[in-house]
Amino acid sequence: MPQQTFRLQRYDPVDERSYEQEFTTEVQPGQTVLDALNDIRWDQDGTLSLRMSCRHAICGSCAMKVNGSSMLACKTQVSAAQSRAGAEGVITVGPMGNQPVIKDLVVDMDGFMDKFEQAETWLKPPEGQEPPTREYRQLKDNFDHWAHASTCIHCGACYSDCTVTEVDDKFLGPAALAKAYRFVMDDRDATKEERLKMLSGMEGGIWDCTRCNMCVQACPKDVLPMDAIIELRTAAISAGYTNNNGSRHSKAFAGGVKKRGRLDEATLVPLSLGFAPTAIPDVLSYLPGAIRLLKSRKLIEAAKRHGAPKQARQEIKRLFEEVQDEKQHHDLDAESFAALHEEANKTR
Amino acid sequence: MIRSPAEGAPFASRSLRKVVALLQHDVLIVGSGLAGMRAALEVAEDPTLDIAILTKVHPLRSHSGAAQGGIAASLNNSSDEDSWELHMYDTVKGGDYLVDQNAAEILSREAPENIFELEHMGCAFSRYDDGRIAQRRFGGHTEPRAVYAADRTGHALLTVLFEQLLKRGVKVYSEWYALDLIIKDEVCQGLVVYDILSGQLETIAARGVMFATGGYGRAFRVTTNAFASTGDGVVMAYRAGVPLQDMEFVQFHPTGLQGSGILLSEAARGEGAHLVNSEGERFMERYAAERMELAPRDIVARAEQTEIDEGRGVTELGDSVFMDLRPIGEERIRYALPSVMHLAQDFAGIDSLKEPVPIQPTAHYSMGGIPCDVDGQVRYKDQDDKPVVGFYAAGECSCVSVHGANRLGTNSLLEAVVFGRRTGRAMREQIGDLEPTRVTEGDMERAVAEVARFREGADGSERVGAIRSDLRDLMTEKCGVFRTDAQLNECLSGVKELQGRYGSAAIDDRGTTFNTDLLDAIELGHMLEYSELIVVGALAREESRGGHARHDFPTRDDEKWFKHTLAYRDEDAPRLEYSEVNMAPAYRDPYPIEERKY
Repeated sequence: MPQQTFRLQRYDPVDERSYEQEFTTEVQPGQTVLDALNDIRWDQDGTLSLRMSCRHAICGSCAMKVNGSSMLACKTQVSAAQSRAGAEGVITVGPMGNQPVIKDLVVDMDGFMDKFEQAETWLKPPEGQEPPTREYRQLKDNFDHWAHASTCIHCGACYSDCTVTEVDDKFLGPAALAKAYRFVMDDRDATKEERLKMLSGMEGGIWDCTRCNMCVQACPKDVLPMDAIIELRTAAISAGYTNNNGSRHSKAFAGGVKKRGRLDEATLVPLSLGFAPTAIPDVLSYLPGAIRLLKSRKLIEAAKRHGAPKQARQEIKRLFEEVQDEKQHHDLDAESFAALHEEANKTR
Repeated sequence: MIRSPAEGAPFASRSLRKVVALLQHDVLIVGSGLAGMRAALEVAEDPTLDIAILTKVHPLRSHSGAAQGGIAASLNNSSDEDSWELHMYDTVKGGDYLVDQNAAEILSREAPENIFELEHMGCAFSRYDDGRIAQRRFGGHTEPRAVYAADRTGHALLTVLFEQLLKRGVKVYSEWYALDLIIKDEVCQGLVVYDILSGQLETIAARGVMFATGGYGRAFRVTTNAFASTGDGVVMAYRAGVPLQDMEFVQFHPTGLQGSGILLSEAARGEGAHLVNSEGERFMERYAAERMELAPRDIVARAEQTEIDEGRGVTELGDSVFMDLRPIGEERIRYALPSVMHLAQDFAGIDSLKEPVPIQPTAHYSMGGIPCDVDGQVRYKDQDDKPVVGFYAAGECSCVSVHGANRLGTNSLLEAVVFGRRTGRAMREQIGDLEPTRVTEGDMERAVAEVARFREGADGSERVGAIRSDLRDLMTEKCGVFRTDAQLNECLSGVKELQGRYGSAAIDDRGTTFNTDLLDAIELGHMLEYSELIVVGALAREESRGGHARHDFPTRDDEKWFKHTLAYRDEDAPRLEYSEVNMAPAYRDPYPIEERKY
């Protein structure tokens, strides 16, 4: 049987010491990384700690980093990990990122789990109203729209690889936001507006994502967290929750491009932060950076590149119009959908 | 029976931190799957009650989440013919009549209201175009009554209950391990527990303790069960003097992935998948001509095993048959069975849209467990049928018994929510009347010795992993789909030998923080103890009924064996007693015993 070497990133909580340790074990075709780690634990070194339970990608226990990317160990074939292994064919395994390590491959997931509570991810049906005697009528189209986001197994792989969480532990993170999305879109929930208001106004909400797509790649299910966050932004703007830096930034960004055919850096900061008196300290905090830019003549360069050539500007304008048309179609769809839904609930 | 070598070992162990009775609650629920969480929500309706859940894995990791196909209820969303009576009849017949009919009646009567309640909580159920909950066919059910969320129904239910728990702010001891149930003078006092993070032993006093600790399928090599399904609850109850009921009835699910035994949902057959042998024959025609692939699981599993044993198995090993999804059609497979499709791809490298999947019977569900009544009250089932005051159970660890000798698919999730809810209500109403509890340091003695034996004891000659591996091989080979007197006797002596080897087992990890090596060792102790009960019960029961099939006694024998098995823990060996099957439903006449044909 072929041998495979694993380089494990370990952590000893007594000595508070991180170290790497290599183990070589026999692997059979079809074996998963979790199988191999268990062979190591059971035959060679029982002190290796990890979490696991269902072994078929539904309980979410065994997310860890394999060759630097977060994934479920039970769902990852050794053969697949081999193809992404380092130079000597060694597969590296380590604990998830963005969470404190407790021991070896076990991390403290409390922070991750708390985010769901912060995002209030439970159904809020109409208050003071008895539910129907049978089920709420929920159109299949509505269910199909958000069902993929309800497949989250809370494994933390997306959170582990999230580049925003890495620098800002207040960010709700991809999983909690995707779950919030699932409730915003679920037509049984009566608080869509309040949710959008909260998610767009709060620190660590939808506008803090940088759209790096790492969460989508890490997710072992079909949740597509980043897409959910983007859709939440659109919904928040449509619902009129624009009094926040994120939506102003997005508007200023698009406005600048539409008008000049290229990004207008000089106006981006003040337009994003807004002109309310409370925004003054924030605006001022950008001054040192602006002065440095001025000194290095970068701001002047930016101002010189005042606009794109005429032809390009026309093309960009046309693109904007096209998108606008698309959006109107989409809104019409949404309206007719809402009407259908009302009809269905009448016949309840 | 295991004589723990730790008994009598030196108790004093300075490094082992232990705390007595600082923690207390009115109600403590062990296990955070569907039954435990559903009960907790019910208890939490009374804000004056102090309630907590204790679980060895985070609630969202519970094995209820692995259930795929559906949850049964006669909603009549896809049929006009369904009724609770029909559901009850299917359940009784499916269980080969070893079902307590008062319990089956409650299960089927209360199913619809439970489903609507879960839907109102926000459960992501699949829908029809007009917005009603969709329903599909399932094995042994006359009508299409499986409510589902694609093929991740357990996950959808587990998630929604956890959301409600979060909303209510119920206290959860997550990643705490229960080691002993404290019962004094037939009254439950609380638990001895172990904090996995700190490695500290404590007691938690509680006037009401509920077990919702799940099943015991891990004793088999080929199983659908999670690593966590090690029968901890049933063994804790047994060690505390409670009998265990019908332990020999283990359900073998017909469609486990070859080798690993990972579950491929019965929903696949519900949607129209075929089972085919090496000759390309849909062999179910010879075993259940009418229901074919949708006969109950015991019948399909036996049919598959017969095909395999008679040389009509597929693949090089000949140890499996094919499940062919292609008759369902690609579009429907992708929409209704995405998990089945992905599991075949990820765990067997098979594209189920293009080729059939090799499958084999796999240990799946524990029909047996802790005997309790329809309100979760655990009972001694002795002559007076005394209750174990303050001790409750629901879900797979319990034996109500709604499943009898064989559970129908989609009835387990239903059992967990229906009886979880009832048990929660019963606790809410009864706990206030119970006496305060008495917990002392002495109650921790056995658990302290057990932990000290592994964490601080001498090196041993045996590795836990090796003993466990031998046990699982033994149980699958000698106590599987078909059993004989000779095989079971071999199995029993094999289990005893392994119990002996366990006495000299040792672990590598002597640390306190997140010591999974220690938990593996303790769980193996549980597996060895309950495995003996499965075998002893199976050896005694000289008939074939439901999940228990004997080659040497191939037919059901109602005259001798229409009764529940009870295993009591005596000094040297389990003592078997038997109790009557309940034939007294409240709202209709009982269904008489009939020949079982499909």
